[in-house]
Amino acid sequence: MSAVVAEHDHDHHDHGPAGGIKRWIVTTNHKDIGTLYLVFALAMFFVGGAMAMVIRAELFEPGMQFVQPQFFNSMTTMHALVMVFGAVMPAFVGLANWMIPMMIGAPDMALPRLNNMSFWMLVAGISLLASTLVMEGGAPASGWTLYPPLVLQTGKALPFAIFSVHLLGISSIMGAINIIATVFNMRAPAMTLMKMPLFVWTWLITAFLLIAIMPVFAGAVTMLLTDKFFETSFFDAAGGGDPVLYQHIFWFFGHPEVYVMILPTFGVASTIIPVFARKPLFGYSSMVYATASIAFLSFIVWAHHMFLVGMPMAGELYFMYATMLIAIPTGVKVFNWTATMWKGSLTFETPMLFSIAFVVLFTMGGFTGLMMAIAPADFQYHDTYFIVAHFHYTLVPASIFILMAAGYFWLPKWTGHMYNEKIGKLHFWLSAVSVNILFFPQHFLGLAGMPRRIPDYAVQFADWNMISSIGGFIFGASQLLFLYIVVDTIKGGTGEKVTDEVWEDASKHGLEWTLPSPPPYHTFTTPPTAIPTEHF
Amino acid sequence: MKITKQLLASLILMAFCLGKAQAEYTLNLMKGVTKVSNDIYDLHMLILWICVFIGIGVFGTMFYSIYHHRKSRGHKAEQFHENTTIEIIWTIVPTLILVSMAIPATKTMLELDDVQDSDISIKVTGKQWYWEYDYLDTGIHIVSRLDEASNKARQTGSGIDPRSIPNYLLNVDHPLVIPTNKKIRFVFTAADVIHSWWVPALGWKKDANPGFINEAWTSVKDAGVYRGQCTELCGKDHGFMPIVVVAMDQPEYDTWVKKTEDDAKKGPDLADQSRDQLIAKGVAIYEKNCATCHLPGGEGVPGAFPALTGSSVVTGDINAQVNLVMNGKNAMPAFGKVLKADELAQVITFTRNALGNAVGDEIQPKAVNDLLPKSATESSTQVTEKESVVSSVDLSKDDLIAKGKSVYESNCASCHQVDGQGMPPTFPALTGSPIVNGEINAQVKFVLNGKGMMPAFGNTLSQADLAAVVTYTRNGLGNSVNDLIQPSSIRALQ
Repeated sequence: MSAVVAEHDHDHHDHGPAGGIKRWIVTTNHKDIGTLYLVFALAMFFVGGAMAMVIRAELFEPGMQFVQPQFFNSMTTMHALVMVFGAVMPAFVGLANWMIPMMIGAPDMALPRLNNMSFWMLVAGISLLASTLVMEGGAPASGWTLYPPLVLQTGKALPFAIFSVHLLGISSIMGAINIIATVFNMRAPAMTLMKMPLFVWTWLITAFLLIAIMPVFAGAVTMLLTDKFFETSFFDAAGGGDPVLYQHIFWFFGHPEVYVMILPTFGVASTIIPVFARKPLFGYSSMVYATASIAFLSFIVWAHHMFLVGMPMAGELYFMYATMLIAIPTGVKVFNWTATMWKGSLTFETPMLFSIAFVVLFTMGGFTGLMMAIAPADFQYHDTYFIVAHFHYTLVPASIFILMAAGYFWLPKWTGHMYNEKIGKLHFWLSAVSVNILFFPQHFLGLAGMPRRIPDYAVQFADWNMISSIGGFIFGASQLLFLYIVVDTIKGGTGEKVTDEVWEDASKHGLEWTLPSPPPYHTFTTPPTAIPTEHF
Repeated sequence: MKITKQLLASLILMAFCLGKAQAEYTLNLMKGVTKVSNDIYDLHMLILWICVFIGIGVFGTMFYSIYHHRKSRGHKAEQFHENTTIEIIWTIVPTLILVSMAIPATKTMLELDDVQDSDISIKVTGKQWYWEYDYLDTGIHIVSRLDEASNKARQTGSGIDPRSIPNYLLNVDHPLVIPTNKKIRFVFTAADVIHSWWVPALGWKKDANPGFINEAWTSVKDAGVYRGQCTELCGKDHGFMPIVVVAMDQPEYDTWVKKTEDDAKKGPDLADQSRDQLIAKGVAIYEKNCATCHLPGGEGVPGAFPALTGSSVVTGDINAQVNLVMNGKNAMPAFGKVLKADELAQVITFTRNALGNAVGDEIQPKAVNDLLPKSATESSTQVTEKESVVSSVDLSKDDLIAKGKSVYESNCASCHQVDGQGMPPTFPALTGSPIVNGEINAQVKFVLNGKGMMPAFGNTLSQADLAAVVTYTRNGLGNSVNDLIQPSSIRALQ
């Protein structure tokens, strides 16, 4: 192993990065592009977070205090779009860029120029979306689902929002093609498919999901565009169309889309937990099959988002049964993570704390998901704060927590500096407690009858909304600690010299820990011969 | 630091509030007042407990491991990473649990779906941002909006404490009234965008889609007032279109029906009024119906809702403006069906002489009334006509068709549509229908006795109306059977 490392040490001086700002604009290096994606995602996390703060401030008390209802709707819409397309997805693409080549022993991504282009199209797409905030008629305010006919009442922003969805879709598809090409063609010879780290597996499956669904979404919004400007009637009953058709198309995209955000999350969790349990991942192959099953099921359950639109009974029953099936592979994953921890030798550094919180809180989101799969019960839950609580549990203390965990886990590798563990733990405990103050009461609100997407509410909902808002403000403020830690670590962190494997015995778990910290600009220019084989 | 203190202070305050307000809010789903809502509640509790039980198992195991298998306690890691038996068990057992959930869920679904044999049918129309209710059997029409007090308090920066308003945001001016212990069928549709009708006490919600019909039913056990809200984002005032259902026992309900029908018979006040009178009365109508979009000052929302101040329509030809207000255009609703002639005259005169406009003209209720579609006025006289003894004098085919058209529009068009195209598959088209184009006596019997969702019109329409409407359907709406039936023949079939 050390021979491999030495080899890289001497050749990274040959092709260093270009100097100045140009390095970041024209770079084709997977590490630089990974950094760009991660920094952009973090910035968007704060932009989307600021919008969430506006929402929680308005909902702090009954009555309208700060904003107009239309702007409130723009905030809920833009918060979702920015968080989904600007923060969570790019963050995982950033992790993929940094880690996949280093995990499979490849020198770079398979298509480096495409890689650069997909990042800058993302920036273009999100900028276009953000520009709608200052347009006549305001930003889109019809919810991130952009349901017609309501979305067609958007002002000047509509074509811009639609074009931005096109750009984001192209960016995602190019990124996905790159990942598939890299995983299939660039693995070190000894790295067979069933030896790949779970993070690589989950991203490979996610990339296929992306290629399948992004064109569907692009098609749906293009139909909105022609309905609005070119006299078509895809979604207009007066011309023979059907507004519910849009919902079918949207959710055929939208349901797999939520798995695009959660499958790489599973992958990172499956990478971190074994390192701090000092044990191999339990049930590696069942993890791979469970991921593939979830991905397959995600394509055949979309109409569980539409139990109320008036489907035939047979359709409702089918979608109910199919949705319930998802609980089985998801359960297998949770059991596997628990079994990985069982009889390990556990330590609780910040990445592990975030990962454990993920397993617990994601499972709670999974439970409410199962409850909503039961169609008649969903007749009560649907479009209330119960579902707001549900999907935030599966996104914030799941995807976001795991992204934080990934940051703490790999920052020492990326920078060569150790982060401040005390502040890291403070960040964790503040986040873990406040996220529950923020979202747990929303279950009560939903069950008590508070609809989602309303700017003002009846007074019996006041107490839990205030508690939820307080949780939201603490959660929002706590994330500034993360920003501080990232900047501090890049600048030198605790000053402690980190080893190549950073975490105790991490080199047993993945190839990236055999490289120096920080890794040279180019790594694995010749493929590694030995790979960690502890699973077999 | 100051913020931290404030947050801490509010947390402590919260703790006090919690103690005080405990009784006011609920943590769990309500049981509701129908059999279905009770079934759904039971289902909810069943799944909840299953989830709690599984959660205790999984999290218990995990926390046991976190406590005992930690490095700081000197625990050495074992290196197992597979166990086929346990993996099979934790796949099979959840599957069985899921089946045990699916069975009661399926039963409740089938029950919810059965809209047959209803006693009353009510059409619910969602509009930006209020609800309209049409009782298909009696013709009662209700427009139901957020009540005045809530509406004033909910304006941004109103300074009114919502806690001082009874049922803030959950109260309306005209509630939906239903009898208890009767099977009530709802048909849902929308005029503009998608809305969703939810009263938690009834146990379900249903989307109202523009151009399509959805169905649901309920049967309320106890008299009372049940409140709910629109649950599908429908634009800026989505949060401000509540639903109130008042369930009454049959005798009170009958009294209510009688009173409402009597009120409906009163036509618009067509007496001439001075311009100042018209403007004075127009203010309130404007605020209630127009200000949500065009804003109280008439400046509109550029890009979405045009300004009325200086608008070419408002300052242009008055008849053109009346036409636009009556018939609507794009997002502008057709107010001809919502407001009476005198109200239309008042609000139009108001917009032309206020909101920064000074056209200096007015329109009288009578003039507006002449521009309104005839069916609206004729239907108000229809009730008296029904009560009078039907003359057995035969009518000409043209008379029958002319009369039939108005009967059709007030009794049939809400389902079969004005042009007879229906709303397949729920409401069949009459154009080209085998019944309408078939044997005439069979059609009459069908109309008299009803079938499935088609109400029995034998009790609600007079013989003359029945003869007229049947003749109209056979010779209008794209049909040309070229025959007719007289009121006397209807009597023979009854």
